[in-house]
Amino acid sequence: MDAINVEGVARSFGTVRAVEGVSLRVPAGQVVAVLGPNGAGKSTLIGMMLGLVTPDGGRVELFGRNPSQAAAEGLVGAMIQQGDLVPNLTVREVVGFVGGLYPRPMPLDEVLELAGLTDLAGRRAGRLSGGQAQRVRFAMAVAGAPEVLVLDEPTAALDVEARRAFWAAIRRYAAGGRTVLFATHHLDEADENADRVVVVARGRIVADATPAEIKQRAGGRTVRFTLGGRPAAGLERLPGVTAVEVTGDVATLRTADPDTVVAALYGAGLTVRDLEITTPALEDAFLSLTSADL
Amino acid sequence: MLSYLRVELLQVLRDRHYLFFTLAVPVGFYLLWSGIFDGDRPDPVTGLTSSVDIMVSMASYGALGATLMTTGVRLAAERRSGWLRQLRVTPLKPGTVIVVKTLAAMSLGLPAVVLVGLASVVFQGVRLDPAQWIAITALLWVGTLPFAALGTLIGSLVGPDAAQPLTLGAYFVLAIAGGMWLPLSVLPEFIRDVAGGLPSTRFAELGRAVAAGHAPSLTAALVLAAWTAGLGALAVAAYRRASVAT
Repeated sequence: MDAINVEGVARSFGTVRAVEGVSLRVPAGQVVAVLGPNGAGKSTLIGMMLGLVTPDGGRVELFGRNPSQAAAEGLVGAMIQQGDLVPNLTVREVVGFVGGLYPRPMPLDEVLELAGLTDLAGRRAGRLSGGQAQRVRFAMAVAGAPEVLVLDEPTAALDVEARRAFWAAIRRYAAGGRTVLFATHHLDEADENADRVVVVARGRIVADATPAEIKQRAGGRTVRFTLGGRPAAGLERLPGVTAVEVTGDVATLRTADPDTVVAALYGAGLTVRDLEITTPALEDAFLSLTSADL
Repeated sequence: MLSYLRVELLQVLRDRHYLFFTLAVPVGFYLLWSGIFDGDRPDPVTGLTSSVDIMVSMASYGALGATLMTTGVRLAAERRSGWLRQLRVTPLKPGTVIVVKTLAAMSLGLPAVVLVGLASVVFQGVRLDPAQWIAITALLWVGTLPFAALGTLIGSLVGPDAAQPLTLGAYFVLAIAGGMWLPLSVLPEFIRDVAGGLPSTRFAELGRAVAAGHAPSLTAALVLAAWTAGLGALAVAAYRRASVAT
């Protein structure tokens, strides 16, 4: 049974069609990134998965149950945007309270350790920095040891260092076979942390693949080297090359398969200098996917 | 459910505004008024000496304030902050949330009742039967229900910025027109005309009746029940509308 099964959900707010006919199946144990620019419909989609937003059409199931039922059984943990904390409770109290609502919570000390909150356990939640508060939201999401963890822009308030620690914690959590779905507009985060990337634009899924495949789709990789005065003629006939670009003394070959191209270069007896194989940042892939007219 | 009640109570008990407005103010006013209107002569209407009458007024005033102030503004703030959404993702049932909030609001009126009562015993030598104390405390607990409903209604309908002045406004109107600050007999006639229909007047009357040694009138019970039913129905509808999935 899939951990998350979204079937043809749609939702409009007034005349704005936030989500249009999205279907998505996430098997248990997968880490999925929902990647998209602001306003793409990520939060609405996540709200529908959590039962916080009612779809106009379609349906959502978590482990075969509707979202409210799944929440009632303690299968779901979530970090939702703009979730302010309860100012007059300590970190330990608020995390312990949320964990205690679940049938089989994680031991409290373990949760605090995982979220990096051990030293802040006695502090009032109202007296935390933005980054610290974000760690408390993460702790609340995992405190009940839920099977499905849904995170909406989880690293929004974090600096680089805190972001790294955060993803390390998520990976530790997911390593136990749990399903994690997170929304982000940070491309590197999707690239580094997800098994699968679902790209959302204008309320629709425009791509759904591994991070590597997404990059591939944006035009593959480039092989670049210095010509050293030799003519560039004939390079376009090498196996695997889809385009050739020469700028001054530098040749740039586009290809889906750099290994074949490089082998062919050496096989042709060319003395290749300054060889460089580059992969376009996921950002380029992302832009080409989300800006395409569909 | 109990753990939720515990965190609801903890949050308020750690709030200095709550402690000041709902405990210090009623006790302070009690000491002030009972010192000024010192009198062993019983009031011709209620049959109570002023030290007992003011004790009931200020205990009612404190309980009314605590219940209103801990429902409306907090609910509005929690709707805004996303805390209620966070709870909806957990196994805590939505119905439990509203039941616990109501219980907490009612119970948070109790410290004021107990403290004002104690102040009256210690500083004014007020003496009532233990059964009377128990009955006053219990009635001033149950009797806060319509105010908890009113607070829930306000908190479900408006945002935190509007909830604060609305709640304060309701608090002062109900307290003054309900005869908690000054006896109804000295208030203008137009207030006295409507006072009998107000829940706050009838709420204070519960305590006055018991302090005077008799059961509260059926009218008082009916007026409070009617307000509870009416405001309760509106509050439940508004809360449902405010808390269901958008």
